[in-house]
Amino acid sequence: MTRIGGYFALGYLFMVLQTAVLPWFFPFHFTPDLILVLIVYLGLNEGYLRGSLLAYLLGSLMDVFAGYYLGLYGLALLATFLAVRGAAGRLNTESSMLLLFMVFCGTLVEGLLLIILGSLADAGPLWLLIASRLGPQALLNLVAAWVLLRIAAGVQRRMAPRLQIPGLQRLDSRYEP
Amino acid sequence: MLELLRKYRIPLFAVCLLLAALFLYSANLRGREETNSFERLALQLTLPLQEGLSTLTGGTTAWAGSFFTFGSRAENLRMAAENRQLRAELDNLQEIRLTNERLRRLLKFKEELALPALPAQIIALDASSWFRTVAIDKGSVDGLREGLAVVVAEGAVGRIIRVTPHQARVLLITDASSAEAALVQESRARGVCRGQGDRLTLEFTLRREEVAIGDRIITSGTGGVFPKGLVLGAVAAVANHPFGLFQSISVVPAVDFSRLEEVLVLLPGAQP
Repeated sequence: MTRIGGYFALGYLFMVLQTAVLPWFFPFHFTPDLILVLIVYLGLNEGYLRGSLLAYLLGSLMDVFAGYYLGLYGLALLATFLAVRGAAGRLNTESSMLLLFMVFCGTLVEGLLLIILGSLADAGPLWLLIASRLGPQALLNLVAAWVLLRIAAGVQRRMAPRLQIPGLQRLDSRYEP
Repeated sequence: MLELLRKYRIPLFAVCLLLAALFLYSANLRGREETNSFERLALQLTLPLQEGLSTLTGGTTAWAGSFFTFGSRAENLRMAAENRQLRAELDNLQEIRLTNERLRRLLKFKEELALPALPAQIIALDASSWFRTVAIDKGSVDGLREGLAVVVAEGAVGRIIRVTPHQARVLLITDASSAEAALVQESRARGVCRGQGDRLTLEFTLRREEVAIGDRIITSGTGGVFPKGLVLGAVAAVANHPFGLFQSISVVPAVDFSRLEEVLVLLPGAQP
């Protein structure tokens, strides 16, 4: 329960950063999707029940601060989590490179889902907007995931060297400070 | 049967969850004009943080210039510190002057508008890269409700989609789900101005209508949100295909949405 609370608090912090801080520093309406990075991380490290609940909750929170359609991100992020979780069983989830790769793929999956679900809601040319910007957005999310990994590894080493962060115990040496 | 369920419990669990989420999404699509209690709670809890961070980021840009001028020579530390302080004050004054200019322009526009309007400040932007919404620091206690028009001196900005007591979210006219009834100011040709992310398109304008590059696009006042005559943008390109009923018209928004800081909300008495 504490872990769910921790993930949710982190998601909430990411949400505040995405709405009130990051947009002022990135041009052309590009904002790194930190919530998606968290969802991919959950997909690689958490079980189906706990992860699904968190993915839907964080997606619903995202819906409050993004766009017009409540439930859109809830469904898209839940499906993204399930896709990552399904693939994680066949992969080495302790590799940080995998997290980066999955963030890139997760962005493409999420974009595709938003296009499909947006068309159900008569969201106009949303598909055109997403299709034209999906590549740069996936790269931006990949860079954001890399930065978050470096920060997480640094914080773990300095603040709590004995703390076991799931999925971050055997990080590639290049992410260690 | 039980064995089969056990074997496929994870795919079944995933399908059930997805169907439940799809059902909730589809149910929300029907009642999307109102702010529900979950949205209200989330927005209310986040407002103080967003306002604080908004002030901080505004301050950061003003102070950033002076911060990076830090001198390295030890004997000049005192003078460098004084210089930094003066620069910071100068940056602050410059920021105040610019804010003053913007507010003066907004006030002049409010007087010209001759409609009841409430000034508000933008405190947050959309959390995603795909949608175009902003949060403002006024809410239902200030008389706001869903559907009210938001404008600036340059033209139309958007409409309110979610309201909490002290905060509201505005759907910008550039959002893909935004569409306004519009007129070409010169020829009076009608159309629907739709958001495309960073620009607009004028749709459903008949091929026989004369539209030229540079023509101004204004609100027609028939959409139920904006009063008539607010500027939406200017025509940037016209494609008149040899087939079909309508022209393809690209419009550049009159408002620079990347520099939006203060807006005016047109209050209920002002609605068309």
